Amino acid sequence: MYRIAKIKPPSNGSDEGEGTLITIASNVLSNHVRSSILVLSGLIALSAPAFAQSPAAPNASPTNLDILSRDPNQWVMAPHDYANTRFSSLDQINAGNAAQLHLAWTFSVGADRGQEAAPLIVNNTMYVVAPYAGPHPNQVFALDATTGDLKWSYAPKPDGAAQGVACCDVVTRGLAYDQGKIFLNTLDNYSVAIDANTGKELWHTKLGDLNEGQTITMAPLVVKGKVLIGNSGGEVGVRGWLTALDENTGHIAWRAYSAGPDSDVLIGSDFKPFYDWLKGKDLGVKSWPPGAWKTGGGTMWGWISYDPALNLIYYGSGNPGPWNSNQRPGDNLWTTTIFARDVDTGAARWALPLNPHDLFDHDEINENVLLDLEIKGQLRKVLVHPARNGYMYVIDRATGEILSADPYDHITATTGVDLKTGRPIENEEKAPVLGKNIEDVCPAAPGAKDWQPTAWSPRTKLLYVPHQHLCMNFKTAQVGYIAGTPFVGAEVDMYAGPGGNRGEFMAWDVTEHKKVWAIRENFPVWTGTLVTAGDVAFYGTLDRWFKAVDARSGALLWQFRAGSGFVGQPVTYKGADGAQYVAILSGAGGWPAAVAAAKIDPRVRNAALGFVGATQDLPQYTSGGSELLVFKLAGSGAPQGNPSHANGAQLETGNAHAQ
Amino acid sequence: MLDPSLRHATVAILALSLGTIATSRQGVAEEAASFPSPEQLLQVPVGPTFPGGVRFPPPIKDPEADDPAAIQRGMQAFVSMNCVGCHAPNGGGGMGPALSERTFIYGREPANIYLSIQQGRPNGMPAWAKMLPANVTWDLVAYIRSISSAPETQWGQTTSRSPQSPTIQQVPAELLTTTTPWAHTEPFGDGRKPSMH
Repeated sequence: MYRIAKIKPPSNGSDEGEGTLITIASNVLSNHVRSSILVLSGLIALSAPAFAQSPAAPNASPTNLDILSRDPNQWVMAPHDYANTRFSSLDQINAGNAAQLHLAWTFSVGADRGQEAAPLIVNNTMYVVAPYAGPHPNQVFALDATTGDLKWSYAPKPDGAAQGVACCDVVTRGLAYDQGKIFLNTLDNYSVAIDANTGKELWHTKLGDLNEGQTITMAPLVVKGKVLIGNSGGEVGVRGWLTALDENTGHIAWRAYSAGPDSDVLIGSDFKPFYDWLKGKDLGVKSWPPGAWKTGGGTMWGWISYDPALNLIYYGSGNPGPWNSNQRPGDNLWTTTIFARDVDTGAARWALPLNPHDLFDHDEINENVLLDLEIKGQLRKVLVHPARNGYMYVIDRATGEILSADPYDHITATTGVDLKTGRPIENEEKAPVLGKNIEDVCPAAPGAKDWQPTAWSPRTKLLYVPHQHLCMNFKTAQVGYIAGTPFVGAEVDMYAGPGGNRGEFMAWDVTEHKKVWAIRENFPVWTGTLVTAGDVAFYGTLDRWFKAVDARSGALLWQFRAGSGFVGQPVTYKGADGAQYVAILSGAGGWPAAVAAAKIDPRVRNAALGFVGATQDLPQYTSGGSELLVFKLAGSGAPQGNPSHANGAQLETGNAHAQ
Repeated sequence: MLDPSLRHATVAILALSLGTIATSRQGVAEEAASFPSPEQLLQVPVGPTFPGGVRFPPPIKDPEADDPAAIQRGMQAFVSMNCVGCHAPNGGGGMGPALSERTFIYGREPANIYLSIQQGRPNGMPAWAKMLPANVTWDLVAYIRSISSAPETQWGQTTSRSPQSPTIQQVPAELLTTTTPWAHTEPFGDGRKPSMH
């Protein structure tokens, strides 16, 4: 679904129709499209302040945010656009000059834990959010996107107990923006709307309970006036849901559970799953031991895509609980499942469980990249899902049919995906047996790729994939459910996959089903990715490098050694000075790197749910950090004249002293 | 290795009502009559500083410190009460802080650990007083004191790639179930697969 809209003023309230769209069909953006983008950005620059001054305009066009996301000067949602491409059409920074990138300014968010959040840039203001640590957990900062000047900050009222039920460090993956409002999810289950101009709180809503183990870590997404939020806690027996809030009031519009009776999952008469085994009443109850769905996970802490033409949102649900699969015979629907839902009602249109009866914690909350691709001579509306189970799924996003599923990392847990049923083919040798250590299960529990999002370039037609390369020992044990405590039942011990490298950044050709190039990294690559029309792809490493590589060849163009390891999401935008900027938060943490930022013992391999086994040497490379880094090309941007003190400081000379 | 049937047993214990746990506790409590009184526990300082130079009573000794059976029971409770989910097998840490090192955020004396379990702590440790009777909690203290006894070669901790530090790791829990994991170490693994024993 990568498309460029022809120009319409955002205030006219019209829906976009097929006739107003141009699909990018060629490998290279035509001059015509380029100029469209320039005109579009000009219009947005004029109209954006009007949005900001009327934060609750009730008659606003539902497609405003969609249009805004096409302005390359801004970065208005964590995934860049509803299709989740993370592609920017800015090209001031390109493969020829990226070597001249240098630091423009930095900012500390004051909390040295995993910095997974994507900065947002709206109307020359950057919005960043801190992890749940430090004196002001989940504090939000608004900064001048060109100068770094702090405009305001907002600190929610925290409940420190939240960090005790957050499985994998106290991260947040970012904020959302719409209609002059910033939307914050706090780890302790609040959704907050903040005036984007002033930092004033507009509403807050409590969505979950720490005593049931719930937390929230995902970046919300706003679609048609609804703030979409999922919960975390798949390791604490939390019952997963996706909730839609009215963006003006904070009231719940609908909530869709991932398991339970059809009425809770919002499965009705228009639910049309592609595969026959998914048809039947209340499968979200019947595919579990009695009542087990109530503590069965299926949380939603990853990414949401939206197709305006189909009016469908897409997202995947998390792992079933407990990890010990022996305790939950059955397919455990609808965990590890990609859902297509009507955004207005939440009603499920189709669903596709990728790992029925999941054995190894393979959540499928990863991003779904919406693309219109020519496949076997036909233009198909697809979603591409780089799955945790190690397969690159290409799925018809109208029907839920798997078109292809190709391995993109070393896999021993399964031998393939049966395209007749959509089910993975399990390797019996790796099936968990209670109390028995199963060796060399690949991919390991975090999968071949976890939440860290890919980027897709319409110019190269390649998907840029940051991911890990790990195997594990896995030993199940019986576990009892105690509300608010972990519900895992497995001893996990991860380690480097074949070849010894623990991560990779690679380019994948979706239609040719193959890797085009790959960069082996010592540690798991846990950052998101950005790719631009300058044919530059960006990612960061746990050992403190932020890298720019040639999107066509993978050649390293530039790298920067930062204060702490990277687990964040790079974004790009244009400043008021006309310079293109690239921003990312530095700060090791998250599941793989908490060992470097929290009180975790690197000598105990099973620590941090077994990830310490694979990253136990990381403290030899980094500690925690909290620094926002903003780069631009040396000499880019409008001439600023001689340096002057922007903060009002004045130089006093000897003459002044004499007076 | 902990026999699998023993694990079933611990879960079965968990599944029983708290009343049953309380009943079974009474016999044990009679044997170990020397648990500290609530009054004694109320006097336990969390930190090491005292205004005005006043003296507190010396630290309370773990009433079960030298009882291998208590340490073994503590390990079972550590698993069955899901402590292991947060603090990790052998207490390496994760959602909760590591218990495998000699440092504790809220004090390392036995009574400090006892009170941290019973009262909970504000940054994520739940309060277990209504679920865990005193004897089970003291069993847990005995086990936690056992797994926290990391070898000390110097006062502080050096982390370095070359020469490598730390030099050792524990034999991982999926290969060995033990109440004394620091008695079973091997060369530091650098993220590679552990040697199979």
